[in-house]
Amino acid sequence: MEGNKPWYKGSIWYFLNSLKLTLTVLITLAVVSIFGTVVEQNQPVENYVAAYGEKWTKFIVYVHANDLFHSWWFLALLTLLAVNIIVCTFERFPPKWKSLLNHKPEGKFDSKLIERFSNNQTVTVSAGSDAVKARMEAALRKKKFKFVTLGSRGDWCFYAWKGAVGRLGSDFTHISLLLILLGAIVGSFAGYKDYKAVYVGGTLSMPKADFEVKLNKFWIDYYESGQIRQYNSLLSVIENGKEVMQKQIWVNEPLYYKGVRFYQSSYGMAWSKVEDARLSLKKKNKDTPEKPVVIPWETLTKIPDSKYSVKVVGYTADFAYDEKTNQVYSKSPEASNPAVRLEVYEGDRLVSTPWLFMKYPGIFPAIPNADDDLVFVTFKPTMYSGLSINKDPGTNIVWAGSIVMGIGFYLAFFVFHRRIWVQVKDSGKSTEVKIGGMINKNNFVLEKDLKEIVDSVTSD
Amino acid sequence: MILSLMFFTFSFAFYLITALLYLGHWVFKKKWLGQTATAMCFVALGSTTMILISRASESGHAPFSNLYESMMLFVWATNLGYLIMEYRHKFKVIGSVVMTIEFLAMLSASLLPYRFKSVEPLNPALQNKWHWLMSALAPFGLEKYAIGWLDFHVFTTFVGYAGFAISFGLSIIFVIKEKFEVSSKPNSFVDAFPDSRILDELSYRSIAWGFPFLAVGIVSGAVWANYAWGTYWSWDPKETWSLITWFIYAAYLHARVTRGWKGKRAAYLSIAGFLAVIFLYWGVSFILPGLHAYA
Repeated sequence: MEGNKPWYKGSIWYFLNSLKLTLTVLITLAVVSIFGTVVEQNQPVENYVAAYGEKWTKFIVYVHANDLFHSWWFLALLTLLAVNIIVCTFERFPPKWKSLLNHKPEGKFDSKLIERFSNNQTVTVSAGSDAVKARMEAALRKKKFKFVTLGSRGDWCFYAWKGAVGRLGSDFTHISLLLILLGAIVGSFAGYKDYKAVYVGGTLSMPKADFEVKLNKFWIDYYESGQIRQYNSLLSVIENGKEVMQKQIWVNEPLYYKGVRFYQSSYGMAWSKVEDARLSLKKKNKDTPEKPVVIPWETLTKIPDSKYSVKVVGYTADFAYDEKTNQVYSKSPEASNPAVRLEVYEGDRLVSTPWLFMKYPGIFPAIPNADDDLVFVTFKPTMYSGLSINKDPGTNIVWAGSIVMGIGFYLAFFVFHRRIWVQVKDSGKSTEVKIGGMINKNNFVLEKDLKEIVDSVTSD
Repeated sequence: MILSLMFFTFSFAFYLITALLYLGHWVFKKKWLGQTATAMCFVALGSTTMILISRASESGHAPFSNLYESMMLFVWATNLGYLIMEYRHKFKVIGSVVMTIEFLAMLSASLLPYRFKSVEPLNPALQNKWHWLMSALAPFGLEKYAIGWLDFHVFTTFVGYAGFAISFGLSIIFVIKEKFEVSSKPNSFVDAFPDSRILDELSYRSIAWGFPFLAVGIVSGAVWANYAWGTYWSWDPKETWSLITWFIYAAYLHARVTRGWKGKRAAYLSIAGFLAVIFLYWGVSFILPGLHAYA
């Protein structure tokens, strides 16, 4: 076998396979990650200058400490760890697997071997060797050991083993880490993330998918104390013009359809649309306006007791006017200065298109040269729901990795490979029992096993 | 409110008494002190269990949602872990260190500012129950007792912390014991502790429990985050520090395979690991802001 090594097994291979590398990388990762939490990440450069001064900022930017976890050298360290794991798995897993499959218990049995184990003892039993042999077999069976009996009458030997599969635990754990990493990589390259705001009643067309999502309703649940309990959206999936699915989503409960997830991520009032506006008619000869009338968005509505019909055609949450471009815009998304634009009809004739301001009633007449005026009293906002959209084809790989990890941990930490050698030798009236063994970890378990076996062999 | 506070007050006293009994047993080497200590340890465990139960019924959700509640979970899991160890290995002297840690944990929980203690309804981001469990429990009308990612994530993480806390206690004893073994100076206090070889092995076993639980806690957190928000990992301080801790203990487990790293160096790694846990748990919550701001 020696001298017949594959080409790649040079010094680099052994370096990548070494435990020293593992320890170095793990401890380096731990130490540098601390800096990533102490230095705030992804801040504007001014913040670093303010906190650390110019010189240190230069250094921070130079070593990418402001975005440490995405810097090339941090990724290189993670890659090194992954390569280390891959090489170790290649090196250790196949031989272990083979020896598990062709386990040959009948090897050379050397009774001197027993005395070399740190766990060994010799006891004398006052019974015939046949009886002791039978007891030993019963004890091993009771402890669920597999075993072979060798030798001949008066000088029996046993080799017993249990939990050999536990040796694969570390490999399973390593493979699971690689799977989880792979799943995350697949997700970030083959998937996509997006964010869209949808008005209640509006639809979201998905450019990368052949279906649409409609927001039917958005609402907030409250606890009795007034704290927010949950944000909810009622979504419909529409495919080829037909609704194929309806689901209420909330934070922690996304809609999943054809590999794409829709998450409740934010909400708010629309700044360019309202559900309806409430307008009051104010007659010239009266001091107080009439009762408000509900005017739904873009729907021509008759104002009672007047010759006018109105339609709400525009809305701005925080009215502002740009003189250069002659355009109306919203300074902010908050309804700080709400204004509606109307089309006022007298019969079929459009008589005016005024802006009405909720906070400044009557500063401009709604209808020029008329006896009646309109007052913008209040409105019902159109809510929008902010949806995060995410397609992540790596999720299943991550799940598989998690399951393998569970199995790996169980095998690595709770299944122990125990091997026990026993010699039962006739020495006149009594029988001498030599027993010893080894375990891959957790010596207590082996000590306990040996003690129990010896106890059940020595007691009648 | 009143019930869980009452059990907290009781438990506080119980842990003080338990710690003193174990310390008394260690110093005076009286058998009855040891037996009483173990009995009190069970009483403290029962009382801590009652804190968790009464808290859950007061808040209407599993008691894992703020710093105070998670502290109680930590104290509970550490106590349970210690009792299992004592039952298996019969080294009562170790209790004097572990129960002192428990008492300090209770003390720090009692000193928490009110906003970390108050019974709060769950905020939207934390409300999550497993559907399959809810539908499994629905025929019995028990679906409100279904648990979800939050409960699983927090529970596994804190079982992990408990394992590390016990290992930390053992490692401290190890460092002292080993010093005396090397100089072979007799000292009746130190001699009462088990051999350093056994301490090392026990410390390893505690980490062998803590490590997979922390890993499952981290992975379940990532899987939950991906399910609920569409991102596995955001490198927020809590996440990063949990990874740092996990790296340290991974180093511990790998180091132990090499002969030279068993014993003293492993003990120092275990101590460093638990200091990282303390920072991950308290330091990050108070100093570094992030996604886990609520706990």
